[in-house]
Amino acid sequence: MSQPALETRDLHKAFGALVVANDIDFALQPGARHAIIGPNGAGKTTFVNLITGVLKPDSGHVLLGGKDITALAQAERVKRGIARTFQINTLFGGLTVLENLYLAVSEHMGVAGLMFRPAGARPDVVAEAVRLMEMLKLGDDARTTIAELPYGRQRLVEIAIALALEPKVLLLDEPAAGVPSAESHILLDAVAGLPPEVAVLIIEHDMDVVFRFAHSITVLVSGAVLITGTPDEIADNAEVRAVYLGEQARG
Amino acid sequence: MPSQQHAGLNTAAAQDLMRGHRFRWYEVLPWVIAIAVFFAFPGYRLLATQILVMIMFALSLDLIVGYAGIVSLGHTAFFGTGAYTAALLANNGWGEPLSALLAAAVMAAILGVISGWIILRTHGLTLLMLTMAFSIMLYELAKDLDVIKIGGEEVTFTGGFDGINFSNDAILGLFEFDAVWYGVNYWYALVILFAGFLVIRTIVHAPFGRALIGIRENVDRMHAVGSPVFRRKLVVYVISAAIAGVAGAIFVQVQGNITIGVYEFELAGNVLIMIILGGTGRLYGAFIGATVFTILENFTEHVLGTDPPYWELTVGLTLVLTVLFAPRGLLGIFESVFASRSGRTAGRTA
Repeated sequence: MSQPALETRDLHKAFGALVVANDIDFALQPGARHAIIGPNGAGKTTFVNLITGVLKPDSGHVLLGGKDITALAQAERVKRGIARTFQINTLFGGLTVLENLYLAVSEHMGVAGLMFRPAGARPDVVAEAVRLMEMLKLGDDARTTIAELPYGRQRLVEIAIALALEPKVLLLDEPAAGVPSAESHILLDAVAGLPPEVAVLIIEHDMDVVFRFAHSITVLVSGAVLITGTPDEIADNAEVRAVYLGEQARG
Repeated sequence: MPSQQHAGLNTAAAQDLMRGHRFRWYEVLPWVIAIAVFFAFPGYRLLATQILVMIMFALSLDLIVGYAGIVSLGHTAFFGTGAYTAALLANNGWGEPLSALLAAAVMAAILGVISGWIILRTHGLTLLMLTMAFSIMLYELAKDLDVIKIGGEEVTFTGGFDGINFSNDAILGLFEFDAVWYGVNYWYALVILFAGFLVIRTIVHAPFGRALIGIRENVDRMHAVGSPVFRRKLVVYVISAAIAGVAGAIFVQVQGNITIGVYEFELAGNVLIMIILGGTGRLYGAFIGATVFTILENFTEHVLGTDPPYWELTVGLTLVLTVLFAPRGLLGIFESVFASRSGRTAGRTA
């Protein structure tokens, strides 16, 4: 096996008595299209927050390309190739769609520290922001502020920002939630268009999206890995049906 | 990068980004007005000079409040430190005014690094309280150091409440400060303001300035795109401190005296009110806010007398009305009128 793109070892996190990540061992290979599913409160978003550095684990390690990044701050992890989308849109509400993308691109291209040259002196940065905008079919809304943009369209901006960072590991936290089904293909097309070596981890409730997208699936329950397998294995697993799919069928 | 030479830049949205830094015709107005005021109201040059200084102070505050979203109630820490740097240099034999401005900027910047290093790790109310505490500490320090002992002999240092009077050399060895007609003093303040304004304007239209807006709009997202948020905030805080220091230095140089009023909490509150009044995050809001506030203060004193309650009532009412009916400040009102007339959508919201 090659070096995993992303790995967690004995990752543990508790809020008081509530264990939200229970010694999670997890590996994501380069080029993986992996989904994490699990009932509400299983610790899926917490897991993403631990990987990205929003939360510090109580114990355990996060490794990116074999290097321990557990001690690194969020922004440094981004620089090393981890990008994410948020379950709840986390965008620059007062800025336009293009300005949102511009901020991400200018940080990624290392020009955001420039103080004495106007933004217009770097047309390559603006052009890259425009390219991402067009890729997600957001061109018509270029000058619309996020606050005025429908929620589903905002989700596409979330994806575009993550892609702007040209990640090695992309974490998508319920990317399709709130996106009209007519537009969810824009999102999946954009992800499908990523370079094949990029590892993508998706957290999703919509089973259609999961089974269309993922080549492998991990089921998380109460902060612990229940099982990892191919979509067929997961769909046929009795235990999974009991805790997750069965629950959904009932509910 | 695609080798295609930058496709898509001809769209309106891309042009907004490409041309955001270009000067608009109306940007000449404040300077034309400033020059006209000098000739039209020779009797008000002292007041007009104070307004220029307050504009510069307000601009420095707008850089952190309006752009980076760092709300401070203690910006007098830097204004006062710049002021004391210039005053103490002059009072102790270094009367060259321009080098004193530089020294004021450096001292305020050093203080900015030290205080920012601590303060900028906090947010919201905690941050507000710390900025306040920091400036109050300096106020008390300046009060305590009114007289110092050197070799058993008591020597006036800051002069405390009574302050000190000092005199500066001629600017560039050519232009003497004019304490009566404020001729040279006014141009001096105007030229330095213009220089400071150009620096600030350049910064806010640069990628760095846009990143600051990102921090104001959504700091979580800035972390998640890999922005070194703390470093960016510290850098802008230090720049803002240096400019506030220069404003403080001019303030005392043109008057030829200083008291601990330069560190006063009321001044820190006033300058924050000025930018809220004018509109934050839009540079020209500082011009309008500082001008309206200072004129209002002066006018109230003439009409209603110098009793603080009248003036405080006026400030309070103006602020309440602004926040209620013009949340984007007085400049916001102009922008809305202008936008609806020209039929364009309004620019970025604050």
